[in-house]
Amino acid sequence: MKHFVCLFLVLSAALAGQSMAQNDRSLVTGTEWDRYSGRFVTAEGRVLDDANAGISHSEGQGYGLLLAEMADSQADFDRIWAFTRDELLLRDDGLAAWKWEADASPHVTDINNATDGDILIAYALARAGERWGDAQYTDAAADLAGSIAEHAVLRYQGRVLLMPAVDGFGVADRADGPVINPSYWVFEAFPVLERLAPDGPWQELARTGRDLIAHARFSDRRLPAEWLSVAGIPRPAQGFKAEFGYNALRIPLYMMRGGMTEDDVAMELGAAIRDADGNLVLVDLGSGEPTETLTDAGYRILAALGGCVANQTPLAPDLRDFEPTVYYPSTLHLLSLAFVREAAPECLQ
Amino acid sequence: MRLRAARLIFAAGVAIWPAGSIAENWSIDDERLRVTSTGAVPVAPSFEAHERAEPAPPLAEPAPQAEPLVAQAPQDTPLQPLPQVDESAIRYFAERGDTRRLEAEIARLRALYPNWTPPADPLAVPENVDERLEEMWRLYAEGRLGEVRQAIARRQSEQADWQPPADLLDRLQLSEARERLFNASDLDQYQMVVRLGSENPSLLTCSEVDVLWRVAEAFAMTDRQPRARDAYRYILTSCDDVQERLATMQNASTVLPDDLVEELLTLERTGEDGQGEFASIRDARARDLLARAGEEPTLQVAGEALRRVERLAQDGDDASDPRLLGWYHLRRENGEEAERWFHLALEREPTGEAAEGLSLALIERDQFTEAEDTIYPYRAENDDRQAVYLAAAANLLGTEPRVALSSQVLARIVAEAVAVRDVTVARQLGWYARAYGQHETAGQWFATALGFDPDDEPSAYGLALTRLQLGDDTGVAELRRLWTGRSERIFAVGTPNAIDATEPAQVAAPAQSQPQQQTRQEESQPVASGPRASEQPARTAAPAPQRQTGCRTTVDPRSLSPATALQRGWCLMELNRPLEAAQAFDVALASNAEQARRDAAYGKSLAYLRAGLVDDAAVAAASAPMTPERGAELQSSILAERALGAFEKRRYTEALIALDQRAQIAAERNDLLVLRGYAYLNLGRIGDAERVFRAVAATGNREGLRGIAAVQESRGAN
Repeated sequence: MKHFVCLFLVLSAALAGQSMAQNDRSLVTGTEWDRYSGRFVTAEGRVLDDANAGISHSEGQGYGLLLAEMADSQADFDRIWAFTRDELLLRDDGLAAWKWEADASPHVTDINNATDGDILIAYALARAGERWGDAQYTDAAADLAGSIAEHAVLRYQGRVLLMPAVDGFGVADRADGPVINPSYWVFEAFPVLERLAPDGPWQELARTGRDLIAHARFSDRRLPAEWLSVAGIPRPAQGFKAEFGYNALRIPLYMMRGGMTEDDVAMELGAAIRDADGNLVLVDLGSGEPTETLTDAGYRILAALGGCVANQTPLAPDLRDFEPTVYYPSTLHLLSLAFVREAAPECLQ
Repeated sequence: MRLRAARLIFAAGVAIWPAGSIAENWSIDDERLRVTSTGAVPVAPSFEAHERAEPAPPLAEPAPQAEPLVAQAPQDTPLQPLPQVDESAIRYFAERGDTRRLEAEIARLRALYPNWTPPADPLAVPENVDERLEEMWRLYAEGRLGEVRQAIARRQSEQADWQPPADLLDRLQLSEARERLFNASDLDQYQMVVRLGSENPSLLTCSEVDVLWRVAEAFAMTDRQPRARDAYRYILTSCDDVQERLATMQNASTVLPDDLVEELLTLERTGEDGQGEFASIRDARARDLLARAGEEPTLQVAGEALRRVERLAQDGDDASDPRLLGWYHLRRENGEEAERWFHLALEREPTGEAAEGLSLALIERDQFTEAEDTIYPYRAENDDRQAVYLAAAANLLGTEPRVALSSQVLARIVAEAVAVRDVTVARQLGWYARAYGQHETAGQWFATALGFDPDDEPSAYGLALTRLQLGDDTGVAELRRLWTGRSERIFAVGTPNAIDATEPAQVAAPAQSQPQQQTRQEESQPVASGPRASEQPARTAAPAPQRQTGCRTTVDPRSLSPATALQRGWCLMELNRPLEAAQAFDVALASNAEQARRDAAYGKSLAYLRAGLVDDAAVAAASAPMTPERGAELQSSILAERALGAFEKRRYTEALIALDQRAQIAAERNDLLVLRGYAYLNLGRIGDAERVFRAVAATGNREGLRGIAAVQESRGAN
């Protein structure tokens, strides 16, 4: 237990340092942001998931807001926020509908939420409120944080769980429910959300997340599953591939961004996802065999972060330059670069 | 429940300057109904007055100024000279021909600046010298709201001292809220719709009627109908656009309960032509009501609605309104009116539905020939129409006195009966043939009917009578054997106990009619010749509407004439309400006609018998002279009941006395023989018991075998 209290202090401290750093420089450069937003953000403020038929979703809007804030671009932040609010933040419970399609009417094609999207939006709004001194952002962030705590958190068998969505993953929804997704734990957001919505069980949530990632690891590579049934002893959820996949590959980054750079589990994961060529591997958790090798710079930098943090191995030059490819790895690339600029400058030596 | 259609009705051809009450808006404060305005504009008197009539709602303090930008506007001192009003948006909307937004903008500016006069020519509003601001307005007018936000933020980051006009921010914020509210509404997120509406009172004005509709719908969908009513009422009280008012009323009538809709209808305005503006809605509601009443006989319809549809039916030229009226009257046993309206419907448009209704109405009115003829062409359209045809045909065949049918009609009835294997019509064909002395044919039809349904007792009875007629003793015996224990009257065919063989000419109803109308008492109820048969109309219950029974309502029989009371008595017997029937027959006993008195006495004793009041039955039987046949029949029934009653009280000697008395006037039925056997057994007369049971068993009756077993058991025990 002591360990977890320390963890949260680490998170908080990391965040305090971060806001100081923000005053000095942008964590995402103007050039990087222009390239990113030029490719993935429409005039109306919609973030395109171009590898996914050009749909948009609350996660993408959250990333877009966060990157715009890190790039200190209030103009872009404002249009992304306007779109996010007016097109997705429509649910009666105050959470965001997760899926938006240009060709559909109504555009929202699934009114369910995706809780990581909600967290990213709230977190970005909170940072924007702080950076630009605008209470409207902060108020919106607080409302959303309150809704997350109220509607997307489940107390179950002594644990506080972050539900992936309001509908579909609970005890009543699935035979193996509750089912959670460890990659929805955006660790860096929890201390911020706690300031906005102090009644939420944010510290407990952070502890549960780290605990589940640490202990629910599978195959000889000891990697977390994307979808995890926590009805009993945690195990890969039914109906999903038992895989360390596209969702889960963010977990080491989220842990490091959340300040867990000294955490053994984060370091083990950082090493386990990397192949001999520095590519990132997705892994079948039944066999332990790689199912895919990802060579996009946005994925390779994730594979390199662990080595850099643990062993001060500098990032290869091609990973330091940002060229947009497709939405998801490009987003992770910028988040990784922002992380090393802020917390691991040795990686850029 | 979505209101898409109504939402499409926009204010085409709205006057550019809306007259009158444009500034006030409707507040949707959840707890209280308040009249608020975005600024200091006074509330329109009519709205205020109306609201004061409400029991609770306190008239309001000004709305909280949610948007500080609005608060900064100079409306707090409306009488003082005003700063320059930014009319850029007006020009943009005018240029784009967007009258709706133009109107909304003017309404909004008037609310903010009561002393402001809209420009006579919106296109002449000078362009901003500030090109970047001009660009922002252009983006705004094109609805590119996110880009306006982007442009504002970009300029502020470049020009630290630049502030966007409050007007632009205000418009922008409202447009965004409107957009968001519509999106939430499209996704049925009603709480969010209400929240956004209450946070943006400026949206709740006559120039944004569709926002008001969405908010009203959101209230209605979240069980807050009175709040929805308030929103609609606000529109109908304050807004003048004719099409929007009509659409408002249409929306209201789809989501609100009747009483609230009626309340809103009182806000109707009368047009220059003297027509109420909601006439079309009232018509539709009256038709709906009548349509429902056509399915629910107990539904009350206000006279106004009925008259409205009657007027529509008379003045119009389509068939649907007359059909509605036809069904309405048919379900209320008003055959004459139903016939009139269905006739009109059929004249205007020959449809199966109208023919079905008309045929039912004709059946109702005992006009079976026309009924059969009307429905015949439509009989194959669906099961209902087929059932109506069969009912009409069966009734037609059963009409007494018999009607000679044309060979053409007879042929098609025969064809249909065979085609659909209808037992009732086949049996009626049997009786029909029998009535004309065609016993061979009758026998074939009864046999055919039994082929369709081997358990149809009336057909077997008809067949037994026919065989008797034809001297086919073997055939009769066969039927008696088959129906032993199941039909007293078949068992009695050819014996001295035979019941008078006039067919009741009663026709069972088609399957979908009400069960009690199908259940006839043909087995237990002796059927007499004479008045009774002729007074019982030979009618098939019509399938859908309730048949007119004539005695379902409660009436004190003492208020009836003896003749009516007699009829009522038989009717009540048919409904198996013997005690009431006995009272009716009692009244009928006062008749001057001897025949009627005899019938009444007979009916009364039958009624008491059926009610289990044997002694009363005996008294009644003695109250008027009756034919020897009836007297014997009654007497034997009474004695049988006495024997049963005594046996149940374990008074076996008395039971045997009654049985002996009965045996002198009627052959002892198997069931009574069995009773006799057990009476002997209980009295210890085991030999007598065995003799009786063996006689019964010899007819193949199982009760006889059981009795023998009981005898042997009794011997073993002793």
